[in-house]
Amino acid sequence: MSDDTALKVSDYLREPLILLNTSFNNTDELFTGVNEIAFEKGFVTDQFLPKIKARESTFPTGLQLEDRGVAIPHTDADTIKKEFVAIVVNQQPISFKRMDDPESTTPVKVAFVLGLNQPHAQLEMLQSLMGIIQDKAVLDKLETASNKQEVQQILN
Amino acid sequence: MNKKVNVLVACGAGIATSTVVMKKVEDLFKENNIEANLIQIKIAEAASKQDDADLLISTTVLPTQYRIPAIKAMSFLTGIGVDKVKAEILDAVKEIQSA
Repeated sequence: MSDDTALKVSDYLREPLILLNTSFNNTDELFTGVNEIAFEKGFVTDQFLPKIKARESTFPTGLQLEDRGVAIPHTDADTIKKEFVAIVVNQQPISFKRMDDPESTTPVKVAFVLGLNQPHAQLEMLQSLMGIIQDKAVLDKLETASNKQEVQQILN
Repeated sequence: MNKKVNVLVACGAGIATSTVVMKKVEDLFKENNIEANLIQIKIAEAASKQDDADLLISTTVLPTQYRIPAIKAMSFLTGIGVDKVKAEILDAVKEIQSA
């Protein structure tokens, strides 16, 4: 693949890893839920769950936006076998610690769990992700999406 | 000719958010005709690499004090306060180049 192939978030969506209407109570439950599917489907190694939990507690990934929070949990490349961006839309906001201030939390309904193993090679996708995060209308639509196809359409 | 500045760009894993910030800082320097070496690192490496660098730009909380100026740049991810962090980076570079 050449370096200038622009990849968007939608190219990293995997149908089993779009989780809607979940009822996780905290980040550990969310990671366990994502890992259950990701591990079973061969996206991650058995180190993914312990490492993403540890990573989130040391370097949290909650981003406080003007009117809500989002989170972009991720961990070491060596735990990822096949790349993905998992989308979790939880019924109720989950408290994520903030990236810029781990002493504070931000309420997160939409989390993007990044399974990336190509350092430096995913700039376009990450930029497209930041574009999504900074677009209130898109986040609103994701929060109310009723099925996986809708999520794919919103992000296309 | 102004001094070329050496900049460390750090995040927790050195894989995701620093990649985005690298590009933003690259663009910022280009727009302002600043010559720089940008090095993408994990924040845990910052302490050992600071001696070869003039400035640290990070998306994580800073786990320790550094001898070089350190700027937190989550704004590039959230879009909130981008102008302020750009100004902060440009001011830091000016200071480095005039030292």
